[in-house]
Amino acid sequence: MLDFVSKFTNKEIKFYKLNNKYFLASPELDKCRLEQKEQFFGLYLGEDINDQFVPAFGLLDWLSKYSNEKVFVKDIGEMDFLYGKSLRSRHILRVEGEKTIGFLKLIQNEYDENLGYGKIIGDFTKTEQVIKPKLDRGIFLKREKKDKRLSSESKR
Amino acid sequence: MSYLTDRYKEMGGEVKFIKPRRCIRVNTKKISVEKLKERLEKKHVELDKVPFLKNAFYVKSKFNLVSSPEYLMGLFYIQDAASQIPAEVLNPKSLTLDMCAAPGSKTTQLCEKVPVIAVDSNKDRFKAIENNLERLGIDNCIAYLLDSREINKTFDYILLDAPCSGNYILEDDWLKKNNLKRIQERSYLQMELISKAISLLNKNGVLVYSTCSLEPEEDEFVIQFALDNFPVKLEKIDCTGDDGLTKIFGKKLDPTLKYCKRLWPYKTNTIGFFIARLRKC
Repeated sequence: MLDFVSKFTNKEIKFYKLNNKYFLASPELDKCRLEQKEQFFGLYLGEDINDQFVPAFGLLDWLSKYSNEKVFVKDIGEMDFLYGKSLRSRHILRVEGEKTIGFLKLIQNEYDENLGYGKIIGDFTKTEQVIKPKLDRGIFLKREKKDKRLSSESKR
Repeated sequence: MSYLTDRYKEMGGEVKFIKPRRCIRVNTKKISVEKLKERLEKKHVELDKVPFLKNAFYVKSKFNLVSSPEYLMGLFYIQDAASQIPAEVLNPKSLTLDMCAAPGSKTTQLCEKVPVIAVDSNKDRFKAIENNLERLGIDNCIAYLLDSREINKTFDYILLDAPCSGNYILEDDWLKKNNLKRIQERSYLQMELISKAISLLNKNGVLVYSTCSLEPEEDEFVIQFALDNFPVKLEKIDCTGDDGLTKIFGKKLDPTLKYCKRLWPYKTNTIGFFIARLRKC
C-alpha cells in the first residue's frame, strides 16, 4: 500500500491491517471494538489481492487532500470516466503535477471530488486519448448488482 | 381477499397498493443539504423536502439517479422515508450498536452523528454494508460479521431493525406468499433479539425497535413481550404515522403502546413500517 501512496504523496499514513485489508481509524474508534474480530474498521483504504495492492476510494479521497498529482475533468469527462472510458484532451479542465506518459493521476471533477485514478497514456497537448482509467466509481454499480443477486439467492 | 387482508381491517388499516415516493437521504458527512439540492436541481432533478425528516428529499428525475456521479460519489443514499425514521428517533449522542445492520442504510445514517458498531450475520448481505460504507466515505464504523446474540458489550444507544416478514408494498404477491406460521416464526426470533438488545443496554439507555412489517405479532406483541419481561418503558415518538395498537385480536395491550408508530403505506406514501422507542429503567 505504501508503495502506491508514494506515487502520489510523501505524507505519512498510519494504517491498521486486518488480514489483507487496510484501514485508517482514529484512536477513539480503536477503543470501541468488541471482543470479536472485526471485518471493517474505520476508513477502508484498500486490500492486497494476489500480492497486488488494490486501492479503495477512502484512500483516493485521502490522497486527494495531500497530492498534487491530479487531473481535473469537465462534466462530460466525468460521465465518460465513470463509465470506464478513457479521458480525452477535450475532457480536461487542467492538469496538476506530472504530465509524463506512464504516471498515475487522481481524477477529480470540477468540485475537486475524486472519481478514481488513471494512467497517463498520451500527451495532453497533442494526443486525443490522454488518461486510461485504472479504477472509477462506476464500480459501485457493478458491485450493487452483484450484491442484490447474492442477497436474493441467500434468502431462498 | 387473503386472511391477512381481513386482519388489516381489524387494525384500522387496509391494503391499498401504492408506489412509495422515491426518497433520498443526503450524506451530510460529504455535502450539505443545500449544496446537494443545488447540484441535483442543476441536472433538472425535482426535489421536495420530506417534512418529517431532517436531511431527506422526495425526488423525481428523468434519468436513473443511481447512475449519477453524485450517487456514485456517495453524496446521497436512496432510502425510503419510513426507513429513515428509526435513526432519527434514536437520536444517539454516543457510540451506537446497530444489531441487524445490512445493507447499511441506517448504519451510514447513524454514522453521520456518532461512531457505530454494525453487526450482521449474513455473509452475502454483509458485502452490501462494506460497499455502502466505502461509497459514502464512512470513517467511524466498525463492522462485524456476527450473530448479534453473541455480543457482550453494553451500549447507551441500540438500533434493532429486526428481520421481519416485510409488507405487501415491498414484494409482488406478498399477501399470497405469507402466512401466520411464517409471521409467528419471525416473531419468536424478534423476541429473542429484543431480549438480547435490552440485555446489552445500559441503565437509562435507549433502544429503538423497528420492522417493515405491519403484523402485530412482529410489532406491538414483541414490544408487549419486552414490557412484560424486562425493566423498560416506552417513550413518545414525534413522527408521522398512526399510533401503535393497544387492543387487537381480542388482546388488550399496555396503554403506552400507543406511543409506538405504525406507518400504513396508503396514508404515508412510504413502505409499511413500525417503530418503538424504549428506555431501560
